[in-house]
Amino acid sequence: MEALARSLVQAVPAIAGVPFWTVTLLVMVVTAAVLLVFALTFGGVGSYVLRKVAGDIQVRIGPNRVGPYGILQFLADGVKLILKEDIIPAKADRFLFVLAPYLVFIGSFAAFVVVPFGVGLIAADLNIGVYYVMAITSLVVVGILMAGWASNNKWALLGGMRAAAQIVSYEIPVGMAILPAVLIAGSLSLQDIVRSQGGLLGVFGWNLFHNPFTFFSFFLYFTAAQAETNQTPFDLPEAESELVSGYNVEYSGIRYAFFFLAEFGDMFIVAALATACFLGGWHVPFFRADALPALWGNLLSLGVFLVKAFGLVLVMMWVRWTLPRLRVDQLMRMAWKYLVPLTFANLLGVSLWLLVFKGKGIPQMIASIF
Amino acid sequence: MGLKEYINDIFEAVVTTAKGMRITARYGVDASEEVTQQYPEVRREPDDRFRGFLHNDIAKCTSCSMCVKVCPMDCISLEAVRGADKKFVLVSYEINIGRCMYCGLCVEACPTDSLVHTRGYEKASVDRGELILHFVHEDPAGIRARVAKQVAEAAAKAAEAAKAAEAAKAAASLAAPAATPAAASPAAPAATPAAANPPAKDDPEKKG
Repeated sequence: MEALARSLVQAVPAIAGVPFWTVTLLVMVVTAAVLLVFALTFGGVGSYVLRKVAGDIQVRIGPNRVGPYGILQFLADGVKLILKEDIIPAKADRFLFVLAPYLVFIGSFAAFVVVPFGVGLIAADLNIGVYYVMAITSLVVVGILMAGWASNNKWALLGGMRAAAQIVSYEIPVGMAILPAVLIAGSLSLQDIVRSQGGLLGVFGWNLFHNPFTFFSFFLYFTAAQAETNQTPFDLPEAESELVSGYNVEYSGIRYAFFFLAEFGDMFIVAALATACFLGGWHVPFFRADALPALWGNLLSLGVFLVKAFGLVLVMMWVRWTLPRLRVDQLMRMAWKYLVPLTFANLLGVSLWLLVFKGKGIPQMIASIF
Repeated sequence: MGLKEYINDIFEAVVTTAKGMRITARYGVDASEEVTQQYPEVRREPDDRFRGFLHNDIAKCTSCSMCVKVCPMDCISLEAVRGADKKFVLVSYEINIGRCMYCGLCVEACPTDSLVHTRGYEKASVDRGELILHFVHEDPAGIRARVAKQVAEAAAKAAEAAKAAEAAKAAASLAAPAATPAAASPAAPAATPAAANPPAKDDPEKKG
C-alpha cells in the first residue's frame, strides 16, 4: 500500500506537497472501494448466473423478464431488498441481531484483501496470506451463530448451530488440503504461492500437476471448501425443507442482502484460493505475463485469473444443482472419517515427495530430461 | 468398517458424483430440452375434453332447470317465465364460475346440449362480481314485460277467437251464451303475474 502511494507521489509531482499519510490513506480507501464494488458486482451477477445455471440444469428457462435475457434481474432484486421493510423481531436481541450480518459480510469480504488478482494486483500481499484467509473467514461462524441466537427463533438457532458445527469441522480439511501448496512454495503469501507455479509453459507448473498428491489435494480442497461455504450438497444450515431458511429466517431487507452477498463472496474466495494455490493463479498458459509492461501484464493476468476463478465458481454451481443435501450425521462422517484422514495422508505424501525428490514435481523432472 | 469398504465408499462417492454431474451437464448444455412454455406469449391449447368455463347457448336452452337441480355447488341460477306458446322464456341465466368446481354434472344433465364446457380457463379478476357469467343480456324486467305482453295478446286473440266462435255458435244456436266472461277473465291475470323465480311446476296460468 505504501509502495503504491510512493509511486503515485513520484508519478504525480503535484501531490508531493500533501502529507504522505493522506496519500496512503487515499490509496487504501480507493483500493477498498474497488474491491467492494467488485464483491458487490460479483454477488449480483453471480446470483443471476446461479439462477440461470439452475434453470438450464433443471430444464427450465430461469430469469428472463428484466432486461435482455433477464440480465438486469439482479438490479431489480437489489432495489427490492434495499426498499423492503427492515423488520427486527420484538423478542430478538437487538444489538446482536443488528451486528450479525455485518460480521458475516466482513468475514467474507476481508478475505478479498489477499486475493492475488494479477501480477501486481493485490490489495495487500501479506506474508501470512493463507493463514489470514483461514482466520478471517472463521469470523463468518461467529456472525452466523450470532444471527441464529439473536433471532430468538428455533429454526434460526438450529441453523446457526449446524453452521457452526459444519464450518468448524470443515476448517480442518480445508487447511490441510491447502498446505501442500504452501509447502511447495515455502511461503504463506499467496503471491509467492502463485509465483512458484510459473514456468513450464505456464500450465505444467501448476501445483495441480506437481505430483499425484497435490492433484488429489485440489479435489479434497474443493470439496471441503464447498462444505465450508455452506453450498448446496452441504447447505444444512439453511436447509429449506427443514429449517425454512436457517440462521437468516428473521432477516429482511438490506440485512438479508448482507448474508446473501457474504455467501457469494465466500464462493469467490473459495474459487480464488483454489485458483491461486492449485491452478497457477494469474499465470497465463504458454505466455509470461510478468515479462510484459506493467499495465498489459496486469490486465492480461487479471483476465486469466478471473477466467479460472469464474470457471471454478461455475463448477461449484454445477455441483450445487446436481447433488442432494446430506444428513447431519453424513456430513460429520464425511468430514471426520473421510476428509480429515485423506487430507492428512495427502499432506504426508506431499511432504515425503518434497523430501525425497528435493522439491521437484513430475513435470519438472520430465522437463529436466530434455 | 474394513479398509476395503472404506475405499469402496470413496470410490462410489466419486463415481456417483461424476455420473450425476454428467447428467446435469447434458441438461445444462442442451437448450432444446427446455420444456417451459412462456405462458402469456405461448398459450397451450387445452384438450378437446377439457372442462373449462361453462357456456349456455340460450337459443337452445329450454329452461328445464335440470342443471340447477343437479349442481352440487348451487352455482347456477335460472329464471324463466311461461311464454305465449307455452314454452319457457329465459329471463336470466347466471353461473357463478367462482363457485363452480367443474364437475360437469350439469353438462351431462342438459337434455338439449345447450350447456357445454368451453376451453376457457383465464378468469383472473379483482372483483368477485366479475366471476358471475351472465348469458341473458337483456334487461329481465324488459323480457318479463315483453313476454307478458305477448301472453296477453295471445290471450286476447284467443278470447277474441273464442268470442267469435261463441258468437258464431250463438248465432248458429240462437241461444244466449254464458261462457263469454269466463273466457275473458283468465287473460287478465296472465298479464300481471310476477312470473315467480322458479318457473317450475305449479304455474297457475297453465289453463290460460
